[in-house]
Amino acid sequence: MKFAIALFAPSHAPSSRRALRFAQATVDGGHEIVRLFFYQDGVHSASSNVVSPQDELDLAGEWRNFVQQHNLDAVVCIAAALRRGVLNAEEAQRYGRPAANLDAPWELSGLGQLHEAAQMADRLVCFGGQ
Amino acid sequence: MATLHLLSHSPFSDSRLASCLRLLGPDDGVLLSGDAVYALQPGTAQLQALELMPASIALYALDEDLQARALSAPARAQAIDYPTFVELCGHYAKVNSWL
Repeated sequence: MKFAIALFAPSHAPSSRRALRFAQATVDGGHEIVRLFFYQDGVHSASSNVVSPQDELDLAGEWRNFVQQHNLDAVVCIAAALRRGVLNAEEAQRYGRPAANLDAPWELSGLGQLHEAAQMADRLVCFGGQ
Repeated sequence: MATLHLLSHSPFSDSRLASCLRLLGPDDGVLLSGDAVYALQPGTAQLQALELMPASIALYALDEDLQARALSAPARAQAIDYPTFVELCGHYAKVNSWL
């Protein structure tokens, strides 16, 4: 079965961890993830500058490893990312900002990618909240 | 079309659970995760409301979140792990998250 997974919560929210565990179980169960879509506060999970306390799970890092390990299509909503200061090199240059904090495997794109993912997948599962 | 409703907010801080219960179809399922598992606390109106659901509506709770809050699933609810969560998404035609 094909899954699209959307995450609306930042990496410090419990639902971000739940989304990751669900995504891992999806792959482990032999299913396909057609796209991960990070929206609203979920864009913080894609930032390269998140530093977790040493005694806590590094969720942003775990997401990065998961996406790279399975070579997934991981899209970050560009409008949500820009307003939260999550920029790749191209956007940092475009808006004259001093640094970029988003790079591969993440890709900045529009909300249309979520719509398309919902069409391509058999199920769209959204995670947010507590 | 049967829908799996995914709740993650505490039913003691907002009205998501109450709204969800009003909208349930006869073959829908309810999956409690995160703070939403507090709805299974014994002696609460929330648990009573869940137990009044028709038997055709399945009630699930993520075992991990139950354990983290020292709760156990009552007879009406089924504690599930993540692989079962994934399979349930396939069992229902849609998954609706109460974000």
